[in-house]
Amino acid sequence: MVFTGLTQQSVIGLITRSSSKYRVNIIVDRCKECGICISVCPTKVLERSNILNKYGYHPPEPVNIDKCIGCKLCEYNCPDFAVFIEKVG
Amino acid sequence: MAITYTHPLDKHLRLERIPTLYCPGCGLGIGLGAMLRALDKRISEGVIDPRKVFWVGGIGCTARMVFYVNYDAAHVIHGRSIPFAIGAVLANPELKAIVVGGDGDIAGIGGNHLVHAARRNIDMIVVMFTNFVYAMTGGQVAPTTPRKVKTTTTPYGNPEYPMNAVKLVGSLNANYVARASVTTPHYIEQFFYKALGMSGFRFIEVVSTCPEVYGRHIGLRDPVEMYNELKKRVKYKHKPSLEEAEIDWEKGIVIGEFIERNNPSFIEILRGGQA
Repeated sequence: MVFTGLTQQSVIGLITRSSSKYRVNIIVDRCKECGICISVCPTKVLERSNILNKYGYHPPEPVNIDKCIGCKLCEYNCPDFAVFIEKVG
Repeated sequence: MAITYTHPLDKHLRLERIPTLYCPGCGLGIGLGAMLRALDKRISEGVIDPRKVFWVGGIGCTARMVFYVNYDAAHVIHGRSIPFAIGAVLANPELKAIVVGGDGDIAGIGGNHLVHAARRNIDMIVVMFTNFVYAMTGGQVAPTTPRKVKTTTTPYGNPEYPMNAVKLVGSLNANYVARASVTTPHYIEQFFYKALGMSGFRFIEVVSTCPEVYGRHIGLRDPVEMYNELKKRVKYKHKPSLEEAEIDWEKGIVIGEFIERNNPSFIEILRGGQA
């Protein structure tokens, strides 16, 4: 199953998108919009979104999710514990 | 298809205090995440009991890390995190002390305590995050500030030669001396993982980014720009010598495991081991 649309959970504010192999999750209210995850991604999966979180920052959005190779560099380099990657299947 | 809603490190964090106070793009969060991953690995292997771990921090941005971890933690006066940890470890040798602090806290104000804890090889891990200034108080010159950098207290450029904490601790009786950078979080995790399995005094210096305060002084105000500039300058070397430990922003910053010894720690000597 492939998520094509943007799934947003209102309770904890999670942006979730998954390809056939990996799921990229962004916890909206923890993001501080430093841009490090967008910069370190080797395949340029993430892009700045137009969503505003409760502190007024724009969290990233996994736009090109099919390019994700699951290296977890964004998860390791996020200073605010806002990004995490899961393996699907 | 089940979706998990929690970050894998959430069990190690005090979630009511997240998000952290750190500025956007601060490298300290990256370092904390890498340390928690290493600790998580050691706990799942059964080497470390999470109830025996305690964190100590002095004053500064880095020392505030102890607020965010879900472990026993102490927040003590400026520069005195190492003496507090010495007291706790000597009173209860079962404890695993993790001291975190910035360069101003550990090498500046608490420099004497660092030297003598390393000399006596006391069982603790000291993780020093070097961001080259006293960031929390507004960017004053620190012992690690490179020469000619303009800071709040040196508006004509820093005239002093910087201190090299890796070389200083390596010249003493410390069992493990390593340096990593926040641009290489895998090395922080690897070195901290190794340090958690050793005894004696273990010192890890993490070169960090401070885009808000230090970046403003050197003209790298954007977090991504500063991260990429530091990433370009960091070079990993297998077992580098202490002579290569100089932090030179122009020639590059060597990271790696500088010293690995197997000397008896202070508690082993007190217990009558090989002295």
